[in-house]
Amino acid sequence: MSTQSTPILSALTEDLLIRVNEKLVQDSDRKIWRLICKEFHRVDSITRKTLRVLHVEFLLTLLKNYTNLHTLDLSVCPCIEDGTITLLLHRVDHSMWARNLKFLNLSRANGLKFSGLEMLVGACKGLESVDVSYCCGFGDREAAAISGCGGLKELRMDKCLGVSDVGLAKIVVGCGRLERLSLKWCMEISYLGVELLCKKCLELKFLDVSYLKVTSDWLRSIAALSKLEDLAMVGCPLVNDVGLQFLENGCPLLQKIDVSRCDCVSSSGLIALIRGHNGLLQIDAGYAISEFSGNFVECMQELKNLNAIIIDGARVSDTIFQTISSNCKSLIEIGLSKCTGVTNMGIMQLVSGCVNLKTINLACCRSITDAAISAIADSCRNLLRLKLESCNMVTEKSLGHLGLHCALLEELDLTDCFGVNDRGLERLSRCSRLLCLKLGLCTNISDTGLFYIASKCSQLHELDLYRCMGIGDDGLAALSSGCKKLRKLNLSYCFEVTDKGMKSLGYLDELSDLELRALDKITGAGLAALVTRCKRLAYLDLKRCERVDDTGFWALAYYSRNLRQINLSYCSITDMALCMLMGNLTRLQDVDLVQLTNVTVQGFDLALRACCVRIKKVKLVAALGSLISSEVLGILHARGCRIRWD
Amino acid sequence: MSSENPSFTDFNLQQRQKQRQKWEDAMISPPFGGFNQASESGYLLLSNPNNQTKILDHQEDGKSTGTLGSNKVQDWDPRAMLSNLSFLEEKIHHLQDLVHLFVGHKGSGLGGQDQLITQQQQFLITADLTSIIVQLISTTGSLLPSVKHTLSADIPNGQLGGHPFPPMAGMNCSPQPQNGGGSKVSDQSSKMDVAGDCGAGQSHFIEEHETKEEEDADEGEYLPPGSYDILQLEKEEILAPHSHFCTICGKGFKRDANLRMHMRGHGDEYKTPAALAKPTKESSSDPVVIKRYSCPFSGCKRNKDHKKFQPLKSILCVKNHYKRTHCDKSYTCSRCHTKKFSVMADLKTHEKHCGKDKWLCSCGTTFSRKDKLFGHIALFQGHTPAIPVEETRGPAVLSDKMDGKEASNKGRKHKFQLWLSCCRKWG
Repeated sequence: MSTQSTPILSALTEDLLIRVNEKLVQDSDRKIWRLICKEFHRVDSITRKTLRVLHVEFLLTLLKNYTNLHTLDLSVCPCIEDGTITLLLHRVDHSMWARNLKFLNLSRANGLKFSGLEMLVGACKGLESVDVSYCCGFGDREAAAISGCGGLKELRMDKCLGVSDVGLAKIVVGCGRLERLSLKWCMEISYLGVELLCKKCLELKFLDVSYLKVTSDWLRSIAALSKLEDLAMVGCPLVNDVGLQFLENGCPLLQKIDVSRCDCVSSSGLIALIRGHNGLLQIDAGYAISEFSGNFVECMQELKNLNAIIIDGARVSDTIFQTISSNCKSLIEIGLSKCTGVTNMGIMQLVSGCVNLKTINLACCRSITDAAISAIADSCRNLLRLKLESCNMVTEKSLGHLGLHCALLEELDLTDCFGVNDRGLERLSRCSRLLCLKLGLCTNISDTGLFYIASKCSQLHELDLYRCMGIGDDGLAALSSGCKKLRKLNLSYCFEVTDKGMKSLGYLDELSDLELRALDKITGAGLAALVTRCKRLAYLDLKRCERVDDTGFWALAYYSRNLRQINLSYCSITDMALCMLMGNLTRLQDVDLVQLTNVTVQGFDLALRACCVRIKKVKLVAALGSLISSEVLGILHARGCRIRWD
Repeated sequence: MSSENPSFTDFNLQQRQKQRQKWEDAMISPPFGGFNQASESGYLLLSNPNNQTKILDHQEDGKSTGTLGSNKVQDWDPRAMLSNLSFLEEKIHHLQDLVHLFVGHKGSGLGGQDQLITQQQQFLITADLTSIIVQLISTTGSLLPSVKHTLSADIPNGQLGGHPFPPMAGMNCSPQPQNGGGSKVSDQSSKMDVAGDCGAGQSHFIEEHETKEEEDADEGEYLPPGSYDILQLEKEEILAPHSHFCTICGKGFKRDANLRMHMRGHGDEYKTPAALAKPTKESSSDPVVIKRYSCPFSGCKRNKDHKKFQPLKSILCVKNHYKRTHCDKSYTCSRCHTKKFSVMADLKTHEKHCGKDKWLCSCGTTFSRKDKLFGHIALFQGHTPAIPVEETRGPAVLSDKMDGKEASNKGRKHKFQLWLSCCRKWG
């Protein structure tokens, strides 16, 4: 074949090939491109900018080929350690990759310590963005290593529990040009660290201090950041109106503020903030303010540019909708989840003015009926996301309107709306761009309804059918032939599903997340049929699938090499199959192993020994704590693995 | 050993209370009532000031006792007198103008309102005249130095005569200083006796000065030279380990309480509650003179012969000052072996914190507190907090054990280099 196609290829210059290659967005398309011929492969390796690696053993070869990488994502790599970094860097000709690297994602890389980070930072001179979030072992010394990147602009340190003010000070002094910083959940950070940050990093545009002990003093310091645009402080119980008043006269460029779940903030604090910043684009005050005063509503008239407002959990009245509708013409997103006092009238008023709305969250606004939904569908033709969880009054009429007018709709959450039926789904299926559809607890839908969706919504990525008892094998057969791009599927407690359904699911090549809880009609054969075909499976929930026997688990151990997370609780797996599974699945990072009646203590011991170097999270019965050998537990601990005792 | 200052303020307070009581007495007293009547009925204006002065007398009684010692050496100041007189002159002119005004108004006034207006006018004039007279009297008072002494001696004798303790009985000082200062105190008391012959009626003449001096005393820091007694202990007395001695066996004690405990062994008469009781505050608040102390080291600023002499407040101050400034530092810190002290208490204070400078900067400076370290880092470019680890802790301990001088020299050198580099950076 290659000999035949050579003349055609010679007509295509490298320049042209690169331009064509750049048009490819989907990973699967790029994969096909790479496999065409050596020349195409070479072009791909020149142009490739991002790399997300799952298998650490291929990292060396991959980095050798791709020398123009901008982004390296190691967050799903199970065992990145200091030694790995040494290996990658100390083969001199291989360190080419490090030169152009700008974005590095090391999220959850627990094995990486300061010496490895130091080497990495030393080799990647041009680093601009580093993500070390959820690294449990990340402490002050690791922060000191990161501070070697003088040009760092973005750093995420979410839940780096070991970082204290000292580590932050290191980073602040070392990376003075920092523009985006997230300190979410860094519980050791105190006022001193943040004060220093606000004195030294004057370029800061985004700061996340969520869940920290943020006080008024913090905000006084933060107010001095003249370039700050985005401030997030979710769940800060000490933030109050006094603190927000400091922001009134500070941070002149502030555009986004998130004070959700800050219990001590009231509308007067927000009024002060708004008074100082008429150009605010986004306000998130969910579960912070219980009631909006008249002054606040008046104050909202100033916010002509507002894009998004989220006031989840508040008590609202129709007047606030009127104000928003007549003043905030450019509103794109509104969040009213769990708000009391949301009426059809209010929603109608809102959408009459805000026709550009793309995201509307009405979860648990129980008095909403079809009238409001049809008003939304009529006015907001660009609607992309609509959440109607627990809106029980919504019926097929609403879905009909959405299907007629909202052709762009991508995401629809109908969880727990028992007014949804097959006819409704038929009408909804006109929204052919749907990517995500949640139908959990919609007990009135059956295979017929699913058939309509499957036949029209071919783009669907995610489908939630949790406890949809009417769904059976026929529906799944339709799904597997219609929605080829399905990645996430939840079939938990759909008791009618049998091995036949599993077999048809096997035709979904892209399927990566699958929940099969308590499907007691599927057996080992069904699981085997599924896993032999779905090679991309990364997350599998088999809790309480009691009839699945070892044949299924053997197949799983043999075929699902990309599996990262599995829930095997209450399964009838035996010692041998468990050991096989844990030893063979080298990508496995998170395992739930609760109540395995057929597995002995020795079986657990052996299974954990087989995977202890790479596993990051494991859930076990508490009684096993004293029975499993301390040696294994010691290794797990040393590797940064977290054990949850049930 | 109680320091002088608190007892002095106590004393003032006591006097003020007495004074207030006097005032209250005066309110009910017939002369005051008479004054009221006179003013209401528009009687002779001149009679009012007389009453007023009587009230002032009462006031004087109370106040004057507060600053007994401080007045006696006050010199006559002609300039102050001049300014007082010109002030008086001005006031009289002012009053004159006022009366002129009233005369002009009287012709035009209506019958009904007339009485009310004249009443108000009388009030105004009375008030002005009173203040002029008070001023005049106090100015005159300053001209008569002997009168002041009378005052200071007379009132305490008269008022505190019934007090169970003689003025010196409550002095809580050690035997030696009492001996040292004894002659001066007795000098003063003899002066008082001499002056006691003068009449009590003139006691009210020094109101103005008195208040000024009271303010000075309140400030505490500055006492005009001569307004207090200076005591000077000898070097041996200062350095003596004990300051309380048993009169029977001669054993020395650091604390008076320990001495009293010891005295119980010498007989039943020392076991009575009265003998064992702590000398009360009242007795210590009685002393008539403010006492300040001088350091025996000649040339020291705390020595009374020094140009800018600053007295020490208590014997404890003397002891600590002398040891700190003029003695060898014989106590060395057992932890760092660097810091030396001459006062045991200083060493103990240091030892509490020594080695706790755990907040270390990359420049080598240590801090006992995190906020101080962060303040330092915020101030300097490129400084970062050092992360404490085993490897770095080792040398830190070693350097601590270095010879003190060497270590401090090194530190200085380092700081100097840092400063130099900073200078270069800032250009």
